[in-house]
Amino acid sequence: MRIATDPMHQFQITKLFDLNLGGYDVSFTTSALWMVIGVLLVIGVLALATAKSATIPNRIQSLGEIWYGFIAGIVKDVNHAPGKPFIPLVFSLFSFIFIANIIGMFPYFFTTTSHIAVTGFMAIFTIGLVVVVGLIKKGLGFFKIFVPSGVPVVLLFIVTPIEIISFLSRPISLGMRLFANMLGGHVALKVFAGFVPSLAVALGGVGMLMGGLLVMPLIVGVTALEFLVAFLQAYVFAMLTCVYLNDALGEAH
Amino acid sequence: MATETAEHAAAGGRFPPFDQIATTGVSQVFWLIVTFAILYIAVAYVFLPKIRKAIDDRDGAIKSDVAKAAALSAKADASVKLFEAEIAAARANARDTASKAKAEADAKTAAATAAKEAELNARLAAAEARISETRAKAMTNVAAVAEDAAAAIAERLTGVKPSAAAVKAAVSGAMGG
Repeated sequence: MRIATDPMHQFQITKLFDLNLGGYDVSFTTSALWMVIGVLLVIGVLALATAKSATIPNRIQSLGEIWYGFIAGIVKDVNHAPGKPFIPLVFSLFSFIFIANIIGMFPYFFTTTSHIAVTGFMAIFTIGLVVVVGLIKKGLGFFKIFVPSGVPVVLLFIVTPIEIISFLSRPISLGMRLFANMLGGHVALKVFAGFVPSLAVALGGVGMLMGGLLVMPLIVGVTALEFLVAFLQAYVFAMLTCVYLNDALGEAH
Repeated sequence: MATETAEHAAAGGRFPPFDQIATTGVSQVFWLIVTFAILYIAVAYVFLPKIRKAIDDRDGAIKSDVAKAAALSAKADASVKLFEAEIAAARANARDTASKAKAEADAKTAAATAAKEAELNARLAAAEARISETRAKAMTNVAAVAEDAAAAIAERLTGVKPSAAAVKAAVSGAMGG
């Protein structure tokens, strides 16, 4: 009963077996299980898609090529030629987030992207990569992104701190956006779904009828919306990764 | 209610994404790194090269097919041009032969016509000569018959046989007017 009505219970991580590495508790949990399942799913689909590379592709090969074309298209549009080495990374990020979000749409499956630890680390990793790549490519010239060209020197005292704050807030917004979207969507679904048994308990047969006729269509709609969000958040994360990488790769603005 | 909250607290709290960071955060990040690294390696070194190769192969195949088609099309165009030139030559040849044959035929016809005409004219002239000769002969015969008849008539009427010269003079006078 608690599983059925408590909207937060679905985010509970439970330990499956203990694992300790160098003093750190890295136990295999439900979260880890669903990450492994997600990665295996992605690898499985990709393995099927690339099983035989035909000139005239079958459906699964077409899927793989559309998938690749979608990500390569984003990277090409945003980063142009210098972004090419980052296509696998953006592809992996998108696929990892997308499969985690989609897995989360199934009842009783755990949504790994609904925890800030996961999305936050992804965001920090992405921004850290931007800084490292920027320093490698441009050296200290990378920090010119905080000093917009064509701005009067007096204004720079205001603009530069703003640019620095905006840069530092990127990992927070990037991680928080994904985490909050997944968490919020699932909570909303659960709360709406909870209306049906609540109405049934409170009003009996009439309540069950109301739940069925009024709430159920709403849940169906919200579920459809959540599928859209699942894709959209993966897309947004991949897109923003490309946009941020542009600071390290592109011309200084 | 109180026991439920206690149960939640025991299981990790009311808001697992924050409440469980302390207990499972390291584990989550660890497994994220492990699984994501596996995914990245598989994607970067196995699957994307394969997909890219398939796409490149297809582009190459399309490009070479298009080039092949263009070459064949050019060849076909050349063949058509050659064919047209041959047709034109054959047509000119045929026209030549035809006009030559016509000229020959015309010449032959003209010669034949001329020969026939000459022959006919010769025959006509011969026929005319024969006619006039026959007429002259006939005319002399008529005179002789008329003399005989006149001599006989005069002898019957008068009982005297007229001299041949007189008869002749009389007849020629009557006939010549």
